[in-house]
Amino acid sequence: MPTRQIFSIFLFACAVVALSLVGLARAADSDGGDAAALKEIRSEMRQLREERKRDREVIHSLEIKVQQLETKDSKVETTTQQLQSTDQKLKETTLELQQTNAQVKTLQTKVDAPIPSPEFGDAISRYLGTHSFTITGAAGGNFVYDQQSGALDGLHSASQNSFFFDWEPMILYRPTDWILFEGVISTAFGSTGTGVDLSTADFQIFLNDYMTVVAGLFDQPFGDWYENQSPMWVNRFVTAPLPFGVEPVVPPAELGVQLRGGAQFGSLGQDFDYTVWGGNGPSYTSNVLGAVVSSPTAVANSQTNGKSIGARFRVYPLPVDSEMGRLELGASTYNGKWANGNWFNSWGVDFNYFIGNLQTRGEWLQSYRQMPNGVGADNRQGWYVQGGYFLTDLNIPGLPGMLNSYLHRFEPLVRYSGVNQRGVSTDDIAAGTGVGQGGFQAGLVPDFGINGSPATYAPHSREVALGLDYWIAPSIVWQNEFDIELPRSGGVFVSPTGAETPAGSIPNDRAFLSQFTIGF
Amino acid sequence: MRKIFAAIVLATLAIGFVGAHASADENVSPAEHRRLFRDGARLWPVYCNTCHNARPGDEKAPYEWNLIIMHMRTLGNLPAGDVRALVEYLKSR
Repeated sequence: MPTRQIFSIFLFACAVVALSLVGLARAADSDGGDAAALKEIRSEMRQLREERKRDREVIHSLEIKVQQLETKDSKVETTTQQLQSTDQKLKETTLELQQTNAQVKTLQTKVDAPIPSPEFGDAISRYLGTHSFTITGAAGGNFVYDQQSGALDGLHSASQNSFFFDWEPMILYRPTDWILFEGVISTAFGSTGTGVDLSTADFQIFLNDYMTVVAGLFDQPFGDWYENQSPMWVNRFVTAPLPFGVEPVVPPAELGVQLRGGAQFGSLGQDFDYTVWGGNGPSYTSNVLGAVVSSPTAVANSQTNGKSIGARFRVYPLPVDSEMGRLELGASTYNGKWANGNWFNSWGVDFNYFIGNLQTRGEWLQSYRQMPNGVGADNRQGWYVQGGYFLTDLNIPGLPGMLNSYLHRFEPLVRYSGVNQRGVSTDDIAAGTGVGQGGFQAGLVPDFGINGSPATYAPHSREVALGLDYWIAPSIVWQNEFDIELPRSGGVFVSPTGAETPAGSIPNDRAFLSQFTIGF
Repeated sequence: MRKIFAAIVLATLAIGFVGAHASADENVSPAEHRRLFRDGARLWPVYCNTCHNARPGDEKAPYEWNLIIMHMRTLGNLPAGDVRALVEYLKSR
């Protein structure tokens, strides 16, 4: 290798070394500056992180505050809505109060106003005279459908598919303010033609606030049925309950004298009343077991030579202002002699309760009839319970108002009644009893006020009656009744000679009765 | 027989006495009229509905209510004071 070349290489190497050393020196100088910068950067980054952390904390704190504010705002909004609603209600209530006040003022004005026109009333009274007179009562037409399924132990049976009409005018005559005459005549066209019967005819003398004398022919004041429930527009059903039907437990009327009255014992509506009476006493269609106890006018009391006495006490414990309804509790007894001194005794209890649209009532009664010639006593029991509900407050959603108003006039009803007695007279079954309204009821078919189908003559009769009344006015009603007879076995049928035959099969009859009645 | 005769005489005297007393009850003050009207308005739906639907006063002439209320007083054994309230209410309509 030439020297020049070696020298060149050497120089080149020296140059490289020199340059490297310069680079290293420069690199050393540069490393010192970067570390400081890096430190500064790191410091700044730490600061930034701390600031960021603080910022986050601040943001979190602010978020919490925002949430709290939002919650508060929501509550404020709800409270505001509630306040607005309350304010609206207050306005409506104020308006209602104003209307009520106006109505009260109107009513107060009416109440405080003088009682109307004494001059005109006096003039009319003078024109009419001091003796006043009016006619009330009831009239009704009905349709009866009773397709009987069979005969009653081989006795007579019949079917009914007919219209009837009944008119029962009541005459009231008032000669003075303490005397009243009352007379009721029943006239009807029934299954045996036209009949007329004198139902009641009596004087009522008002002795004082607590005593009234009634003298004449009157409905038996035993329990509630005969006196208060038998008028056709008052009875919720077309027919009478079984104890007051073709086989009555006590006589339906009496010829005699009553003393009666009532008084208040507590608040307004808390009353009690009493009735005591005496009369010609019970009579029967014949002397045999199971004969029907008769109205005084039916047999003219030929079966009796003794008098009767009776008493009834009723109490109404609920005050009018209690708004707990009206409750009546009563107890009755009626006793006398028939057929040469044989005893007749009876007693019963009754109730009546109504509140709002609900009406319920019921009676339980029992009689003992001493029989002549050593025959065992002719004991009888009867009862009924019934309920009805006016649909006045029923509104079916979606039904037009007019249809709802028609619906309000309906009153669905149900009644369960029964009679237990040892025997039934076949004469009464075959010939009819005459105890019905009009006094001509022929037996074995329904008639006015009475379901006389064969099953009601069973010694142990039972009946379920379903009713649907449509009230056109308070005393104008269209009544519909479906009777289901459910007689029990037992008891005897008694021939006119007194021979007794065990009661055999008795058809479970059904009957439909529809009646339009006006009370006037 | 003497006892029966005496009882009839006593009853006749009693009827005459109390009947005359009852007749004097017609004259009442306007304030009493208003009290009777208010009581009658409370009693009317309760007493009448005990047996049958309550019938409005304008169904009958006032003089007819005099008779009908006497009839109902007997049937319902209504207290005499309440009867006066009822008739006042029904006649005022």
